[in-house]
Amino acid sequence: MAQHQVNYLKDGGLPVALTTIDKVVNWGRSNSIWALTYGLACCGIEMMASGASRYDFDRFGTIFRASPRQAELMVVAGTLTKKHAEFIRRLYDQMTEPKWVISMGSCANTGGMFNTYATVQGVDRVIPVDLYLPGCAPRPETLQYAVMMLQQKIRKEPASRSQKPKRLM
Amino acid sequence: MRAYTPKDNVQAKSYYTDRFWVAPQVAKSAVSDDEVFAADLEAIKAKFDVLDAYIQVEQMIVIINANDNYAVLELLKNECEYTQLSEMSAIDWLDQEGKFEIFYQMLSMTKRKRVRIKCKIDEKEAIQSVEKLFRCADWSEREMYDMFGVVVNNHPFMKRILMPEDWEGFPLRKTYPLQGDEFAAWYEVDKIFGKEAREIIGPENRDPARIDRYDTKRFSRLGHEVPFGTDISQGEPDTPLVYQEQEGVFMIDKFDAQKSVVISDRHR
Amino acid sequence: MQQSNRLRPFFENITFDRVDNEMILNFGPQHPSAHGQLRLMLHMQQEQITKAHPDIGYLHRGMEKMAENMIYNEFMPTTDRMDYIASSSNNYGFALAVEKLIGLEVPRRAKVIRMLLLEVNRLMSHLFWLATTALDIGAMTVFLYAFREREYLMDLVEDYCGARLTHAAIRIGGVPLDLPDNFMADLRKFLDKLPENIKDYEDLLDKNRVWLMRMENVGVISKEMALSWGCSGIMLRASGVKWDIRKEEPYELYDEVEFNVPVSDKGDNYARYKLYMAEMRESAKILYQVADMYEGTSPELMAHAPQYISAPKLDIMTQNYALMQHFVLVTQGMRPPVGEVYIPTESPKGELGYYINSQGGPYPYRLKLRAPSFWHTGILTDLLPGHYIPDVVSIIGTTNIVFGEVDR
Repeated sequence: MAQHQVNYLKDGGLPVALTTIDKVVNWGRSNSIWALTYGLACCGIEMMASGASRYDFDRFGTIFRASPRQAELMVVAGTLTKKHAEFIRRLYDQMTEPKWVISMGSCANTGGMFNTYATVQGVDRVIPVDLYLPGCAPRPETLQYAVMMLQQKIRKEPASRSQKPKRLM
Repeated sequence: MRAYTPKDNVQAKSYYTDRFWVAPQVAKSAVSDDEVFAADLEAIKAKFDVLDAYIQVEQMIVIINANDNYAVLELLKNECEYTQLSEMSAIDWLDQEGKFEIFYQMLSMTKRKRVRIKCKIDEKEAIQSVEKLFRCADWSEREMYDMFGVVVNNHPFMKRILMPEDWEGFPLRKTYPLQGDEFAAWYEVDKIFGKEAREIIGPENRDPARIDRYDTKRFSRLGHEVPFGTDISQGEPDTPLVYQEQEGVFMIDKFDAQKSVVISDRHR
Repeated sequence: MQQSNRLRPFFENITFDRVDNEMILNFGPQHPSAHGQLRLMLHMQQEQITKAHPDIGYLHRGMEKMAENMIYNEFMPTTDRMDYIASSSNNYGFALAVEKLIGLEVPRRAKVIRMLLLEVNRLMSHLFWLATTALDIGAMTVFLYAFREREYLMDLVEDYCGARLTHAAIRIGGVPLDLPDNFMADLRKFLDKLPENIKDYEDLLDKNRVWLMRMENVGVISKEMALSWGCSGIMLRASGVKWDIRKEEPYELYDEVEFNVPVSDKGDNYARYKLYMAEMRESAKILYQVADMYEGTSPELMAHAPQYISAPKLDIMTQNYALMQHFVLVTQGMRPPVGEVYIPTESPKGELGYYINSQGGPYPYRLKLRAPSFWHTGILTDLLPGHYIPDVVSIIGTTNIVFGEVDR
């Protein structure tokens, strides 16, 4: 017979938390956003800096993955050219649902200063984008704020949302 | 009546030039001023026609016939110690005289001198490859073909290098507009979604000065961020800088600015 | 839910009817260790590469075309985006080329500030190179250490011009701003610590067995090959050619400072790594000397050439003619003389040259950017065959290519 008895109701409460499945799943999702390394140009360097020592992205649970199949966030960091457009779509298709896209920097948003024949005028012509991040190049703090905004967005939507096709086709 | 736009040169032009404006010239000096260059020029002149030669900004410029290009570069490399081809490319003079100008920028490390060899070819004419002498010309000539459409003979792999292989047009020609032609504008849409998707996706916005503050499909104002496509014609909400939801987040501590430490010395 | 599009798998219509063991491996264009958007088509016999086709152009943004449609001052921020790891060196190359075209002499204080920026940028670039190459080879610690130091340098540049990455800190004819008060103190503080830091990296890497195996005798570039491929910078010096434009064709104040040019004749990855480390020490040496030069220079920052360069802010605000001149220069742009110029500078990657053909108009008629990385990528065609798959990563790492510069 156990001599020791725990009075759950008295000491610190039950080891049980009551919540909804939505909240648990979203808590998990929003705090382990694994991002696909999609450094295309200058912004890619700032993306690396935000993963490196001073800005330390790991504390948000954001770890950069090299494979689209292990990633749920695509940070499009840099200029997307017409020659590359096909490949960004390919890699986006390879990511598993649910997936989000942050368009980092002016070039990815609108083509930015590169208003030329070779530049796609905004990645949203090719893949659907969740967050646009202004700046040329945005500072690491900006990217971190964007990821926080994305976390809020993830928490807002139901975890078992029906998989609606996003806009763009 | 539609305004006339010239087709032979669609690059930006100055909108005002003074009637009496005479452009100054960068000073040219005779090759005989510099004995190293003079010796090199003599070596070239002994075997080939030299159309013109002068020194400009401490570098010698030699203009030769286009069909001598390989032989002149060979001479410079083997006998005059110009061991590196640092740059080569073309200039488009089709508008003025119907010719391309090809330049080869050479470097001699022993003499510490730089020479530019130039020649002109017609639009449909091809030029001899110098890839056998300098391997770096392999890529430069491909780039020249890609950008200008200058065909290079005896090149091992004459394909586009910077633009996609199915690209139409030669971007650095003066007749090619900066923002691309019809083909360039729809390239990625045609390739990924097909021509029928053009209407759904819509044309590119190529006007950098266009601002439509009610267009929340693309952007919203900083500090007034709204979800995609919200109608803000009746006013837009303020979005304060928040890191977490007001009521807090499940199982996560709320950020408190009072408790956080600010490091003043960054070299700490 | 996925939407349908027209993209089909690669190699769908290729039939492999040959019976030899040749395999075609596609590397990139988005590969974490490709330092950007490099695509390599590798023909393999088992693990060994028999043929390599680098495919570039995935970051081609048409900068040369942009230059033809921009006035000279307008193009300056675009040069930032070429070699975005050391952007001031690109600014400098362009500014120097235009100054030579016009025939301008820059005030001494501007020269000192430019030298400081150039060498700080060189340190930033080399630290970044070390971080990424070490990361590719698996040394995560060095990545974190080197980025820590790089952040301090970025703070310095940010104090000066306000930007971390794309500085646009150099103007044609000088520099726009004087140094902030704390700049020199911060710089000296950083430089005093730098030798220890470099020693830390070397302690971690120099005799590390994995590092040596991946670096020594891998990617050997012979002297002939380096010359023939137009290599420059460390790629050339590691192959036994002592050629540093700072030393041989000095520009700015490089003839007044004392520094060594480290050379190696091995030509392999390890030699290049050692040269990068040695160059960081030399840069620190130059920075100490240049910091001492700053005191006692007169406060002019821009050259005086009213035809090409706007007057100082005080004159613009007080004198009518200066304001008119400024208006014309901003709206219409300067009109350099007719002529052409090719000016090489030693950027952290190698010989960065600007060829400008001016026809006397406010827009350059042709501007050719001679970016060192273009040829350092091209050399992979001849360098990779014979190597094994893991070597590809370390070779790409030590060539130190930046794709903003390769594709322009």
